[in-house]
Amino acid sequence: MNKLKLFLLNNAAFIIFIVIFVIFGLLSPRFLAYKSLEIIIVNATFIGVIAVGMTFVLLTGGIDLSVGSTMYFSAAVLGYLVNDLGISIWLGMLVCLLVGLLIGALNALMITRIGMVPFIATLISMILARGAGMFITRSVPMDYPESLTTLDAINVFGVIPMPILLFALVVLAASVFLRDTQTGRQLYAIGNDPEGGRRAGLDTRRLTAMTYMICGTCSALGGIVSIAQLGRVNASFGVGNEFDAIAAAVLGGASLFGGIGTVFPGTLLGAVMIQMIQSGLVFTRIDLYLQPIIMAAIIFLAVLVDSIRSSFIKKLQRRNITRQGDAAAGDENADG
Amino acid sequence: MKCLAKTVLAALFVCCLAAGASAGEKLRIAFLFQDLETEFWVAGHQAITETLRGQGIEVIEFNSNQDANRQLEQLRSAINQRVDGIMVIPHDGNVAVTMGKLANRANIPYGVFNRPPSSKDIQAVVVVADNRTIAAAAVEYMCEEALKLGRKFTPAIVVGDLADPNAVERRNGFYDAVNNPKYKDLWIDKPIEIMSKWDANVLTQNFQSAMQANPDIDFLFTSSDFLIPNIKAVLAPLGKWEKVGHPKHVIFGGLDGDKTACGQIEEGYLDSTGVQDVFAEAEMLMNALVAAIQKGDTKPNEWLYDPGFALTHGNFGDRCQDMWGCKLMFEERGK
Repeated sequence: MNKLKLFLLNNAAFIIFIVIFVIFGLLSPRFLAYKSLEIIIVNATFIGVIAVGMTFVLLTGGIDLSVGSTMYFSAAVLGYLVNDLGISIWLGMLVCLLVGLLIGALNALMITRIGMVPFIATLISMILARGAGMFITRSVPMDYPESLTTLDAINVFGVIPMPILLFALVVLAASVFLRDTQTGRQLYAIGNDPEGGRRAGLDTRRLTAMTYMICGTCSALGGIVSIAQLGRVNASFGVGNEFDAIAAAVLGGASLFGGIGTVFPGTLLGAVMIQMIQSGLVFTRIDLYLQPIIMAAIIFLAVLVDSIRSSFIKKLQRRNITRQGDAAAGDENADG
Repeated sequence: MKCLAKTVLAALFVCCLAAGASAGEKLRIAFLFQDLETEFWVAGHQAITETLRGQGIEVIEFNSNQDANRQLEQLRSAINQRVDGIMVIPHDGNVAVTMGKLANRANIPYGVFNRPPSSKDIQAVVVVADNRTIAAAAVEYMCEEALKLGRKFTPAIVVGDLADPNAVERRNGFYDAVNNPKYKDLWIDKPIEIMSKWDANVLTQNFQSAMQANPDIDFLFTSSDFLIPNIKAVLAPLGKWEKVGHPKHVIFGGLDGDKTACGQIEEGYLDSTGVQDVFAEAEMLMNALVAAIQKGDTKPNEWLYDPGFALTHGNFGDRCQDMWGCKLMFEERGK
């Protein structure tokens, strides 16, 4: 019985995901179509990519408020290079990613070298990057060439949309890195106990810096994915996306206090779930004034269930350990 | 030597005061705007700043980059600089009221461009387009076109940000036309509402979902022309981005009257757009505010309305020159 409970609790996020999917499907049968799922996942990709980067930062107990502005600044640089300087789209995208990396490095510098609190440091770079983007675009909407916007319509092997493949690769790489590499596991260690990690000889500054650089690069990549979908960037591009990314990571089980969280399935499910709820509200034609309230209620419910799940799992595991301990003691007594 | 230095410093100080006094003779107007996100705001910004400067007025510009709090801080800064007048494109109707109260308290004439304050508790010159009437006019033309086709339609509306009075009024105008008893037999179902929050990304995501849920949408009104490229990006892959007269043409209308809309009506993809006369609106506000400053009226209170009109596929040849977006487009082509 406990095993079943544990299984259900361990997969609560996935179960909630399925329940929401089925409810929307019952209310609007077209929601269950393959194409609907494809639209949801494609639309979740750009926030998903940014949320993957955000998960790295959250694992160390940090936060990055600059991701939306980084998206905008790197997109502005890309537009300037491609439209005004005539640089090839691939080189432009590479520079765009480098811009994201640089903003991440700036955050890292302020946090790990100057000792600023992540909230303030990334707030500064949020304003800086938005300002720099505005300086380039002069606030005027920027269009991108078809060679970039058609990337979104490419189906790899004829079935997998390019954004989904890209998102899958990012999730796979991040997941393998966090789970199967020493550095990845060290991130959990410093997130759980930074002081303990330092005493154990971990280079916490280097590890923390790395997470912000990954997050910056993911933001720029998310920006490219979004540009390919929209074809145009205006002054509000990326505004508020930091909160969507944080929400996706937290909904996927990441803790704002560090040390807890996964990219797969956690952040992946979180990002897709947010988009699924948004899409579901459109499919079911809920009153526009009610949509934000329902969205907030569902997210609250999901996080609440996740929080209850965590405390239940701890209790169950404690009970199991006690029972196993009792059994072992019993065996010893019997041997004796 | 010390004495000489003191004399030079004193002379410099006097020169600065004199320069300040002579600068004070020139009217100084603070112009606060929320951003330059769309062609409409860019054109409005350009019309206001260029005309004011052309009249020899010093314009102090503040861009709040979509941050309501920053806009409020910028207003305080303008008041501290003792400007002669304040013109605002407010972040939203509530911010317009808060800023108006501060400007009224400081006895500085206050003007609001295009986005109306959410209450009339403040004293201000407000220039606003009659969004409801303009939207209704654009949608009425779409309904007439639908009637000609003699079949039923699935209507949809792209709604802006429901915190923005302009978005709400445009939505009301859409319903005024669609609910007109004359058109009651046109509709298969009640209109499908698609939230955009004035955000291209949100619109694209929600519109894709709406088209998947209701693939038969064939009558569409967007509350702002700046979203047309994103709507096209969703409709084109579905084979629904076709010109007027094509069996798969979606009867399509917008509002603003920007360059994109002009081009799309000319090419035949867009049936109509409600036009706000951005140049006339800018001129109305400037004239009223400058007149109040010159009269010494620190709390002018007047609401001025831009009646607007609908530029349609039918009247394009006659009226395109009246639409600001077309003027800009033709200017660019002329260059």
